[in-house]
Amino acid sequence: MFSTGSKYFFGITFLGAIAFAVYMLLIGESAIGGTALLGLVSATALLTGLVLFTRDGSNGEDGVAASTATPTSSIWPLIAAVGATLLLVGTITSTVVTLLGVVLLLAALVEWSVLSWSERASSDVAFNAALRKRLLNPIEFPVIAAVGLGVIILSFAQITLALEKSTGAIVFIVIGTLILSAGVLFSVRPSLKRGLVTGICVFGAVGIVAAGIAGAGVGLREDLIHAKEEGHYIHQECGAEKSKYFDKLPLEGVSATSSVDTHIDLIDGKLVASVQGIAGDQKTITVPRSNPTNIVFRNKTEGEYRLVASLGSKMVADGVKEDVVQCTQLIEKGFEQLLILNIPKPAEAGKPFTLTVPGLAGQSIEVIVP
Amino acid sequence: MRRRVVGAVSGIASAMFLAGCATNAPQDTFQPKGPNAKIIDDLQKPVFAVAGIIGVIVTVAVVIAVIKFRDKGQPIPHQSHGNPALEITLTIIPALILTVVGVFTFRTVFDLAKTDDTEMIINVTGQQWWWEYDYPVQTEYGITKPIITSGQLVIPAGTKVLLRQTSRDVIHSYWIPALNGKRDAVPGRVHLNRIEADKPGIYAGQCTEFCGLSHANMRMEAVALSKEDFAKWVANQLKPYTPPAENTLAKEGETVFMNQCVRCHQVNGMKRADGTPIIAAPDESVVSGAAPNLSHLMTRNTFAGAMFDLLNKSCREDVWNADSESFGAKYLSGVSEECLNQKDLRGWLRNAPEMKPMYANPALLTSTGGKYRGMPNLGLTEADIEKLVAYLLTLK
Repeated sequence: MFSTGSKYFFGITFLGAIAFAVYMLLIGESAIGGTALLGLVSATALLTGLVLFTRDGSNGEDGVAASTATPTSSIWPLIAAVGATLLLVGTITSTVVTLLGVVLLLAALVEWSVLSWSERASSDVAFNAALRKRLLNPIEFPVIAAVGLGVIILSFAQITLALEKSTGAIVFIVIGTLILSAGVLFSVRPSLKRGLVTGICVFGAVGIVAAGIAGAGVGLREDLIHAKEEGHYIHQECGAEKSKYFDKLPLEGVSATSSVDTHIDLIDGKLVASVQGIAGDQKTITVPRSNPTNIVFRNKTEGEYRLVASLGSKMVADGVKEDVVQCTQLIEKGFEQLLILNIPKPAEAGKPFTLTVPGLAGQSIEVIVP
Repeated sequence: MRRRVVGAVSGIASAMFLAGCATNAPQDTFQPKGPNAKIIDDLQKPVFAVAGIIGVIVTVAVVIAVIKFRDKGQPIPHQSHGNPALEITLTIIPALILTVVGVFTFRTVFDLAKTDDTEMIINVTGQQWWWEYDYPVQTEYGITKPIITSGQLVIPAGTKVLLRQTSRDVIHSYWIPALNGKRDAVPGRVHLNRIEADKPGIYAGQCTEFCGLSHANMRMEAVALSKEDFAKWVANQLKPYTPPAENTLAKEGETVFMNQCVRCHQVNGMKRADGTPIIAAPDESVVSGAAPNLSHLMTRNTFAGAMFDLLNKSCREDVWNADSESFGAKYLSGVSEECLNQKDLRGWLRNAPEMKPMYANPALLTSTGGKYRGMPNLGLTEADIEKLVAYLLTLK
């Protein structure tokens, strides 16, 4: 009744219909996923009908399989089963698990289908294997390379997050140098034995992954934990210093370095502003309302100072106002701190917004919000 | 069939050729009206000529080869491999051409990036789908307090103006072809863009980075005034707010404005009955956190992100077609009741999202916490619109 080809399409249609039902009942928050799955079901149902109608394009004679050899053993049914399980588990745990299940199911679907098809292509097992490779290797190699690279990068990150900052930099340099050296060696000595090259690569990859797992087990280094717990990254801590772990060089961040609007310098006890694109020192700066503006405070005076932005007040309850103040940390001479101002309203008349340094009388820069 | 194809191709080619003859083309990149745009023009014209000549040669050669050597059943000609002399020549010639173009391009890039000769600073902030201009204090131009406006950028002619561009929401791009090339406005960053107009006049532009639903309607106009006229414009922008006279329709319109519009739109100097200043809070209603400041609205010629004219057709043409000498006086006269484009302004007040595509349906704003992108339909009555129009006409 069912031709060989129609069974294949019928199977996809059936699986697609189940996936559609599961999606709409358990996951679907938007119509996009449902529409995609319904589209798949419709397309494969049409193909099922076409293949049935044309009897797999045969001329009416009963065909026989080109090969009746026993199928080779394959891991893909197992992966498909794991994928289906993760898909179901993910619906009640996490979207990430669901996505992993979907990825595994799709991979198994493609690999298993092509494998089955290639094994029946001819009676020559070697030819069938070559056919499978020719179809799938262009997909498999980039995917495996990307996954492998991702694992290596993740492992590397875990190592550097677990080690002390300076040690992490040294490890980074050493491992990077080793990888570069191995690459140079392989390119200048193409006659190296394949086993040796494979051994070096496997040893290096396993070593990095193992160190990454160990790093993840150890956890984040102490200062990162403290910085996270104490909210240092938002740079709004006024008052006494809370921690010796505060990162006093936030400008190491690429995004901050590349988008500074204004530098506020404390030079010999005097506060001056230099604004991007405007020549000379300024005593007022203009900040657009409701727009995050990056300001960097640089201490070029002996002693520890902080910059304080006094930004008026805001209503926190009926009739209750609270001063809006943002501060950098206390920083020594030669250090710098980032302050991000996002001011939603202009100042009230007679109460200008200011940038000041506590302990330095008469040093103030006005912040104007038009 | 062949005749039809030839006819169609000829027709399209003729239309494209004739399009180049358009005189009313305010965004024509080949009509520079300032030194920065001229620098670009001086580069692009010879490069375009060289590229055009090469393009024609290559196209003709390909067409000849396709026709002359098409398969007519002839035997396959002798196959040869490699011709070092020819290959080296064909590598060196394009390399030389590209080197020459590269040298002049780099020089142009550095010329356009100069900021040390800046004479005036204006902060430009893009958001969906309009541009805000704020003028920091610059006493040499009489700007003793910051000026904020939108839709039309007003500059003194013959002055090197530096635009400090940024964005409040997504990436936009500022482009007034007659005055300079494009420059992106990126959230969290300040990009610098020089402009300078040779003569007084209006120069049209368009956002050139796709920025959402009404990207195509995010327009801008740069208005260049003589230095004397610019000083008059500045003085007018710094004039304090004058409330409408009591017992007038405009006064009733002010009340409607206070009830409906000041949630987002600021009018500098406006006060409540108890004397407290009114400060708009667009950050509570709009995704970008800003709405156009409407102080001195009727000194501009456009509204709604320069999509609509505040002037009716004849008054608009009168300003746009004015010569350099008379332009300033005509522009500075602003929008009178006789010249007001009542139809579009009333339509906007009646139902803004119908006039300009915006994300303003309250039922579809869950992802933005109920905040709009653009102006919503305020459900004003015709009586309210009548009063508001009378009030807005007083904002000069």
